Amino acid sequence: MSSPVIQTEGLSLFYGDFQALRNVNFTVMEKRITAIIGPSGCGKSTLLRVFNRMNDLVEGVQVSGKVLLDGQDIYAPETDLLALRKKVGMVFQRPNPFPISVYENILFGLRIHHLADKRRGELDRIVEESLKSVLLWDDLKDRLANIATNLSLERQQKLCVARLLVMRPEVLLMDEPCSALDPMATARVEELMQELKKNYTIVIVTHNMQQAARVSDDTGYMYLGELVEFGPTQKIFTTPRDKRTEEYITGRAG
Amino acid sequence: MTALSPKITQRVAFSLLLASAVTVILPVVVVILVIVKNGLAAISWEFLTTMPRSGMREGGIFPAIVGTFCLVAGAIVFALPLGLCAAIYLSEYARQGMLSRVVRLAIVNLAGVPSVVFGLFGLALFVDFFRFGASILAGSLTLGVMILPVIITSSREALDAVPKSFREVSLSLGATKLQTIKHAVLPHALPGILTGTILGIGRAAGETAPILFTVAAFYLPRLPQSVFDQAMALPYHLYVLSTQVPNVGVPIRYGTALVLLTIVLLMNLAAVTIRSHFRAKKKW
Repeated sequence: MSSPVIQTEGLSLFYGDFQALRNVNFTVMEKRITAIIGPSGCGKSTLLRVFNRMNDLVEGVQVSGKVLLDGQDIYAPETDLLALRKKVGMVFQRPNPFPISVYENILFGLRIHHLADKRRGELDRIVEESLKSVLLWDDLKDRLANIATNLSLERQQKLCVARLLVMRPEVLLMDEPCSALDPMATARVEELMQELKKNYTIVIVTHNMQQAARVSDDTGYMYLGELVEFGPTQKIFTTPRDKRTEEYITGRAG
Repeated sequence: MTALSPKITQRVAFSLLLASAVTVILPVVVVILVIVKNGLAAISWEFLTTMPRSGMREGGIFPAIVGTFCLVAGAIVFALPLGLCAAIYLSEYARQGMLSRVVRLAIVNLAGVPSVVFGLFGLALFVDFFRFGASILAGSLTLGVMILPVIITSSREALDAVPKSFREVSLSLGATKLQTIKHAVLPHALPGILTGTILGIGRAAGETAPILFTVAAFYLPRLPQSVFDQAMALPYHLYVLSTQVPNVGVPIRYGTALVLLTIVLLMNLAAVTIRSHFRAKKKW
């Protein structure tokens, strides 16, 4: 049995006067895929962005309650925000590689942290390794100098994952990572997620209930800032306890 | 009165628009043609590389060219870092509030201040108060102050045009704000910043009023030796040749104008080239 990596206790979040999260108690288990589903505006992306504190960038945001990562409260004043974000990486809704070469995209994280002052061979090895772990190496090994924004969206998104893996994160946060992709590309990214699960803990926010059902081990259903129900994906989709969950997954609400 | 048919209205409108466009372009073309026609005869290697002789009625304009380049270089060294840093602060750090709006308004207004006012400002501050005297230093700083608003405004536009997602990605990878600006924002804003700077410099190279009180020498038979020396400069030299010295030949006057015009046009051309080169490359 795996252990919890992220735990929230009585987590509430306000954007100014608007309460986006209401007393959320959420658990993410190690090396499993945890999905957060729910209608637009229910707070699922907000919850995801709590885990790497990207919400800090929003003006007037206020958080109360506890968010534990490996037992440490990440909102405690002594938290090293930069270390946290290296540990908890994020994949965004729209693939967002930089308009520079594939090679340099992957090394971006190392360059900002001045860890790229290594020999060329070492860097080549890092690039190869990270492209292999996102199943892109065979596609791109001869095109490392190409501008990344000219790749297909699927490859761009995988490249963004590769760029993340260089930082050796523990947790990958994925904010609707497939919403810009077609069904075939989506299937291949989901395949990749299963592959990544062996080494990383993944939290995915998705609009697509089938996707949650396909890829995740645990699912949380959110509605109006509340975590309505949380449990093993199988259970949530077959025998939901809460009426609101049932209405959403059967397509009668949301 | 019967209404005109849409077809005729359309034709009339088109003609008027075309006429307006031609009216705008024509003077530019005529000015360039006249200057080239009258000035070309004077242009020679000797004209560009030797000192003026016989009370500036003969010889070259070398010191004026050197002076202009010194002033322009000095203005860049002063204004680019300062303007860029101010732009970074204003668009990346400052809260969008009352103060930032006032600053923005001030910068726009600064751009509209007549250049002779900058000249007087430079005289009061750099020449007299800081005791730099009439010197390349004082002139460069004055020109720099004059082009600051251009550099700040175009740098801000370039920074604001970099997608928010670049910043987000960088921050999400554990970068600090400063690292984000350095690695994820500036490289992608650089073409716009360069374009703005070159356009500003092009303006600085052609201005007379700001250098009139702060640096320009009527006639100096030697090249400047340090930043505290006075220098000749093309725009002022042109003014001197045209109005202050009797019996200067037409070719020398127009030749000087042609050299100045060419320098400014080349700079603008460089700016346009950089812009279109990067516009073709950027995709977001």
